[in-house]
Amino acid sequence: MATKMDTTAIGGCNPEAAICTRGVTRDFQAGQQTITVLHGIDLDVKAGELTFLVGESGSGKTTLISIMCGILWPTLGEVKVFGTDIYDLSDDDLVEFRLNNIGFIFQQYNLIPSIDAASNAAVPLIAQGMDRLEARAKAVAMLEKLNIGDQADKLPNQLSGGQQQRVAIARALVHEPRLVVCDEPTAALDAASGRRVMDLLREVAVAEDRACIIVTHDNRIFDMADRILVLEDGKVTHDGKDMPEDH
Amino acid sequence: MALDIRNLSFSRQILPVIAVIGLIFAAFYILSGQPDRELSDPEREPPRAPEMLADEQRVAGSGVVEPSSEVIQIGSALSGLVTGLYVQPGDRVAQGDTLFTVDDRAVRSQLREANAAISEARAAIAEAQSAQATSASQLELYRNVGDPAAVSRSEVIRAEGEASAASQRLQLARARLDAAQARAASARTELGRLTVRAPIAGEILAVNIRKGEYVSTMGGGSQPFIEMGQTQPMHVRIDIDEEQAPRLAMGEAATVSPRGASDQQVQARFVRAEPLVVPKRSLTNSAAERVDVRVLQVIYELPADAVGDKGLFRVGQQVDAYMPAKGAE
Amino acid sequence: MIWIAIRMLTGDAQKFFGLVFGIAFSTLLITQQLTIFINLLERGASGVYNVSSADVWVMDPVSRTTDVAYAMPSTALDKVRGVPGVEWAVPHIRAQASVRTKDGDLEGVAVIGVDDATLIGLPKNMLEGSIDVLSQPDSVIIDDVGMTRMFPGQSPIGERLELNDQRAVIRGIADAIPSFTSTVVLYTKYSQALNYVPGTRNRLSFVLVGAEDPTQAKALSEKIERETGLKAQTREEFARDGVDFIIENTGIPLNFGITVALGFIVGVAIVGLTFSLFIRDNIKQFGALKAIGVTNGKIRRMVAAQAGLVGLIGYGLGVLGTVGFITAFSSDPTFKGFYIPWQIPLISAVAVTVILALTGWLALRSVLKTEPAAVFR
Repeated sequence: MATKMDTTAIGGCNPEAAICTRGVTRDFQAGQQTITVLHGIDLDVKAGELTFLVGESGSGKTTLISIMCGILWPTLGEVKVFGTDIYDLSDDDLVEFRLNNIGFIFQQYNLIPSIDAASNAAVPLIAQGMDRLEARAKAVAMLEKLNIGDQADKLPNQLSGGQQQRVAIARALVHEPRLVVCDEPTAALDAASGRRVMDLLREVAVAEDRACIIVTHDNRIFDMADRILVLEDGKVTHDGKDMPEDH
Repeated sequence: MALDIRNLSFSRQILPVIAVIGLIFAAFYILSGQPDRELSDPEREPPRAPEMLADEQRVAGSGVVEPSSEVIQIGSALSGLVTGLYVQPGDRVAQGDTLFTVDDRAVRSQLREANAAISEARAAIAEAQSAQATSASQLELYRNVGDPAAVSRSEVIRAEGEASAASQRLQLARARLDAAQARAASARTELGRLTVRAPIAGEILAVNIRKGEYVSTMGGGSQPFIEMGQTQPMHVRIDIDEEQAPRLAMGEAATVSPRGASDQQVQARFVRAEPLVVPKRSLTNSAAERVDVRVLQVIYELPADAVGDKGLFRVGQQVDAYMPAKGAE
Repeated sequence: MIWIAIRMLTGDAQKFFGLVFGIAFSTLLITQQLTIFINLLERGASGVYNVSSADVWVMDPVSRTTDVAYAMPSTALDKVRGVPGVEWAVPHIRAQASVRTKDGDLEGVAVIGVDDATLIGLPKNMLEGSIDVLSQPDSVIIDDVGMTRMFPGQSPIGERLELNDQRAVIRGIADAIPSFTSTVVLYTKYSQALNYVPGTRNRLSFVLVGAEDPTQAKALSEKIERETGLKAQTREEFARDGVDFIIENTGIPLNFGITVALGFIVGVAIVGLTFSLFIRDNIKQFGALKAIGVTNGKIRRMVAAQAGLVGLIGYGLGVLGTVGFITAFSSDPTFKGFYIPWQIPLISAVAVTVILALTGWLALRSVLKTEPAAVFR
């Protein structure tokens, strides 16, 4: 890996890396105390891989993923996503960057209850300014790819949990982002369903020029990762294809 | 999708449409329901200042049309029943024409009485004259008798007495004739007073008595028996508020229009201003109207073509007048 | 995004209708109460507005309104006629009198005497009969509201009244706006009115003036004041005097002011609470949208669209309700001539806008403060 490093790149980032963090540190103020959640994280995430970010509660993985996808400012350090120093952008440009380059799958799905599945899936396209009906047609195509095309006209509360998650996945992918961030996708599912979701994600989310980061602490699915990053007390303690034995 | 009837949403489509239609309706209702406060021109023409005075200093007044002689209210010198009425309203009369006569039977009988007394007095004079002649010739006879014994002294005295008495009776009879003649003359005068004649030439304006009615010389009769006046020319008497009076340009013509026909204005020639400033006379027919305002009365002469039977103005009519003020051109 | 915002809003029917109701209720309360308020106040000016042809009203310097007037000597008319710029001037008498009806009841009436020759001073329109009936002896014209008060359910035409021991026969009905006290009004000729009203020395209440140039009425009124020493008010000024008289002498402005303020406060409370609840319910969705990449500007526009829809529907229904109210009661003599001044819906529109802007701003604050990172917790 060191041999590929292009030292002329700013901050020593490899230009081929999908995400590159250098010295990312994050402090939180809790009253008089300053708690440092992340201690100088240096990471490179490659495209075309299913990367797991694993850690206990309080290990800092939520903070790290938030910083990596541009919704939380680091106290120190820099983050490049596909070569763009995202915290160098203006606020609105950063929002725009997220809209065009990142797909989110939230743990709670956070679907809008009063619009149907296809419209929910079409939200990023609509936000990009695409005509609503055109966006919806694309969203329906994406839902069909996820095998729930027949549910396109239903409202979220008419769908099962698994179907809702597929709608959430469709929403994350419909605008073909280069980075997909997935928060605890299997936490609410049984083992079999969880594996089906992971299969699905591997099938649709992982692509040649797309990075996919999954935040989880569900040990049932660790075997499906291409790369596992373990975070403990704000530091990366493990980086490899498999989980270390002590977990 | 929005036109799909099955997906028609009450909240999203029907309600806003109702609201918009409601707003349009309300706007229409509100704008059409605004009160009509436009100023409008009066339906009937109000008196206006003449054009030449429109932007000039001017004085306005109101007044009444009257004959140039003013209205003469004919009275009667004597009370009595009306036995003859010789005029009616609108008649033109010359000075001295008989207007009406009052019952003269009583006066005529007095006259006859007086005439009878005259005849009686004349007869008495004749009788007294013959008695006087008789007694005078008797006395002459006695005086011419030379023999005093032929006529007794007492005979002579008696004859002298008779002659004296006869001449006294003649005097008395003459006095009675004078008295009777005087009575007759007085009765004839009364008779003349019972015939009421026109004091001036003019027009009869009102006749308020009829044959057989009793005319009284006592007060209390509110109406004059006959009203007349010289209506050629006709005057208007304009009341001008005493505060406005000093501004009036004396001698200038006035623009006069009758009440109710204010679009028909005539020019009236200045005649005179009354020397006496009087309390404003009621023009509203209200007996209770009293005001402490005094007015200057100015008389103007109406043009001849505006009066008469077909004219605009009649006696007693109220008019509005505009006069130029001092300093107006 | 606006489409999504509207869907989010109407998806929660309970809160949506709560918001619409709040706005509609506020609009109705503000519009309707202001309408009644303005109309009641303008009753003080009805005497002026009923006379459609006078540009200027001339009166004694101490006179205040059409009903509170001190009489002038009758030569005041000629004084006014002498002022240059006065096209015409006619006398006008307004007085209180007691009338004995056929049944022997006593009723206070306002006797209005108009110029004998021109009849200037009568209301513009007649409900029954023509104004020419005044040329018949002892004629009076009654106003329509007075008619309903004095002769409920029957035609007053031909009815005899007794005024100051004089006979008066009703021969016409005028279409007039009633006064503040809804007094029965009898119109008659000036000379007749002098007989109907027990006499005092001066009787002339007003001189009505037509200006040569109606647009210069204000200048003319000042000129009349200068040259005659009388008080001259233009039509608008004198109408305003009548309104001011009511404002100064009644508690109406305070009462209605309180109601209008209540309408505003209730609107702010209902709409504010409901809007806040609605936003709080949807805070997660807003957070997700922010994370996905919706700028604060777009979020603001979404909330504004939601407020706009609620405002449009609520305001529309509220104004419609007011119109319905006024229409429903327009046949009632108490509400005769009531109208909605066009300014009032604009005022309530401003009030609604303020309510929505205030509550929307409060609700938005929590959305804008939301960290998008919260979606991962």
